[in-house]
Amino acid sequence: MTQDLLVVDKVIKRFGGLKAVGGDTGLSFTVPQGAFLGLIGPNGAGKSTTFNLISGVLKPNSGSVRLDGKDLAQVRPHEIASLGLGRTFQTPRSFPSLSVLGNVLVGANNAGEHLPSVASGNWRTDEAALQDKARVVLERVGLGPRIGDVVTNLSGGEMRMLEVARQLIREPRILLLDEPTAGVDPSLQKKLSDILVDLHREGCTLVVVEHNLHFLLSIADSVVVLQNGELLAKGSPQEIRSNADVIAAYLGDEHAA
Amino acid sequence: MNVEQLLLTVLTYGCLFSVLTLSLNLQYARGGMINFGTVAYFAAGAYAYAIFTQDPPSGLDQYMFGFGAPWWVGFLAAGVASLIFAVVTGWPTLRLRGEYLALTTFAFAEVLHSFLLNERRIGNGSVGLSNIERPEMNWMGLGENYTFALSAILLMGLTMLLYRRILAAPYGRAIDAVRDDEVAAEAVGKDIKRLRFEVFVVSAVPIGFAGALYAMITTLVSPDLFTAEITFFVWIALVLGGERTIVGAILGTMALVTFEEVVRSMHFETVRAAEIAASTEEILTGVIFIMILRWQPFEKFGRKGERA
Amino acid sequence: MTLLAQYFVTGIVTGCFLILATIGFSLTRRVEGFLNIAHAELLGVSAFTTWGLNVGLGWPFIPSALVGIVFTAFLGLFIGRVVYDPIRRLGPAVLLISSVGVAYVIGGAVDGVIGTGIRTLDIPLATTYRFWGVRITDYQMIVVALAALTGVSLALFLNKTKTGLAIRAMSANPELAASRGIDVRQTSRATWLIASGLAGLAGVMLAMIATLSTDIAFRQILQILAVAILAGLGSLYSVLLSGLIVGIAMDMSVYWIPAGYRPLIAFAVVIIVLLFRPQGLSGRKPS
Repeated sequence: MTQDLLVVDKVIKRFGGLKAVGGDTGLSFTVPQGAFLGLIGPNGAGKSTTFNLISGVLKPNSGSVRLDGKDLAQVRPHEIASLGLGRTFQTPRSFPSLSVLGNVLVGANNAGEHLPSVASGNWRTDEAALQDKARVVLERVGLGPRIGDVVTNLSGGEMRMLEVARQLIREPRILLLDEPTAGVDPSLQKKLSDILVDLHREGCTLVVVEHNLHFLLSIADSVVVLQNGELLAKGSPQEIRSNADVIAAYLGDEHAA
Repeated sequence: MNVEQLLLTVLTYGCLFSVLTLSLNLQYARGGMINFGTVAYFAAGAYAYAIFTQDPPSGLDQYMFGFGAPWWVGFLAAGVASLIFAVVTGWPTLRLRGEYLALTTFAFAEVLHSFLLNERRIGNGSVGLSNIERPEMNWMGLGENYTFALSAILLMGLTMLLYRRILAAPYGRAIDAVRDDEVAAEAVGKDIKRLRFEVFVVSAVPIGFAGALYAMITTLVSPDLFTAEITFFVWIALVLGGERTIVGAILGTMALVTFEEVVRSMHFETVRAAEIAASTEEILTGVIFIMILRWQPFEKFGRKGERA
Repeated sequence: MTLLAQYFVTGIVTGCFLILATIGFSLTRRVEGFLNIAHAELLGVSAFTTWGLNVGLGWPFIPSALVGIVFTAFLGLFIGRVVYDPIRRLGPAVLLISSVGVAYVIGGAVDGVIGTGIRTLDIPLATTYRFWGVRITDYQMIVVALAALTGVSLALFLNKTKTGLAIRAMSANPELAASRGIDVRQTSRATWLIASGLAGLAGVMLAMIATLSTDIAFRQILQILAVAILAGLGSLYSVLLSGLIVGIAMDMSVYWIPAGYRPLIAFAVVIIVLLFRPQGLSGRKPS
């Protein structure tokens, strides 16, 4: 039995009186070490909220999220990130006052972000190594030529790849990607799927929210389906493709559309 | 009007207040924090210097403490006092953003002002402290005024170097990221609270030193000298120079100080004429301020405005 | 005990004045979305316009006050259109900082025209009434009555008139309001007129119950901020309660602590509220 890296245990999140995630019994699923989990469901199913609950941006009203067996209830988002959890956002987020390179470098935790190191100036060697690493990462996501550009010049799809690059330089143990292919043109999509497959092979645990099921079901090794914040089904991509409930709730719409 | 004297005054006060503008630049343009209480850190420094260097109270003095320490002890105490005040005001306000932070820092500054005004045991209340210790400032026979101008230049230069060093390091990148997007910065492991708090506290220290130098030059500290007008002055200078650049902050301050000193050095036949000149200066300052906010460093101010 | 009661009554008067001074400020915050630091300067404009007509030109008090209020209302509208409208898209922080510039311009203009010194209106001396040993003047009673009247008329205005309903809709959701056919520009103009007119009214009250000097505006803005923050920025009805609280707290504090610290109460209110309950009394979440 592989060890579960991430455990979502009976999590309930309400906004006002409305239950966004978890229904009455709470949402539970586990992500084993090294898994490639697809998280799907219709709009408003609570996928992004689930990501926010895992990464600590939101805290659950009840239930718990555990990473490596550690309860994250009292852990602040940046600490969760430092535990090796990386994530991207549904609407890509970037730092407009930094260049493309800066946007990637900021993902790395350089000692020079602490005052003692600023004072001694010993961050420079790290910085040189990180710059090389950032270049490699940017090449990998296809943004090599844009390295010195300002972020506001990037297209929506490039912005998503930039977010991925910012996470890659951190070498996360588990990476949550929120709709990575939305607005990304086909050639970059291919690149993205290669990157994800490589990451998976390298041992990184992946959880991917995606509307593009063709993309996701071809590379994920297991799938969780959410509807109205509750677990509708889980299984291998093949099982999900043939699950009647899922087809009714979700795939039906897609195929019809 | 003595041109040499005027230039010297402009240079001295220009450099001195540039320290404040540079600090505000770090806090607002880089750290994204609207501090509307800048004067308080300046006053904390000036009063700390005065209290540490003055003689113990005697006769009619109402203040309680005077340590008779040498000037450099007072100078260091000024930095520490400003730092302590920044810790006290910065810690509880960490989670406040935008106008809420602006109002709280403003209120803190007014509280300090009110204490200095009413609490005679600190610095004789509204009377203030006079005859403040001046170090022997006759460096290489240059005369006091020149030495003070040099000290102000030196203080400004060191502040500039300090901030340059911080901003050039990955630290600068991290605080830019925090200002641009807090959620995304947290997602890459940036401790927002730590970074914001550090920027707030570190940038208060040079302001305290500037306060000490100001007390040396004027040899007087009183609540009247440390009103919210200084805060507004620094804000106007920052806007005038265009934010984000260190050179801009300095040029803005110099321009504003020059403007004020020129008006001040003019001679008027009557009190009424002087009054009108003073209010004209105030009106012009306001108009320039409004015009710059409207037409100059737009995108940058605007972008931050939305986020603030 | 009588002394304490006296401070309490004076506190109510101060509170009522603060209500008048703050409602316009909160209305601006609510509809225009920013803190207009220059609001207090309008009190000065109105007070000195009234003084100029009353003492300078020898007009009777009532017409002077009316002209003062109307002039202030239109000045406020003018500033809103010329200064704030063009930079609204730059966000509330820039508007807030710009309003400091506006405060400079108005403050400088008032200083220049009026000059330093202490002024009083040419009106009959206040008649003092005594109730169980507590004194209150007729002018103070007018302030209380006007504050009550303003509260009631504002409620009627916001709930019964077309413009009032438009103001409420716009403050709740500007985009939705625009899409539902509300004339945003006209509503904004109405807001400036009303908010500045109220500042004008407060200025006249100030001239009536206190002596005038050109630095009054700055002292008022601190207390206005305190009241607005305690009420919850942008909320209107809570201003009625928070104005009274701040006024009474400030005046009664004199019973226990030196009078010099009276303004400190206002700042203490600001700090405590913002640190522990940023939404103020109203309970609305800060935006």
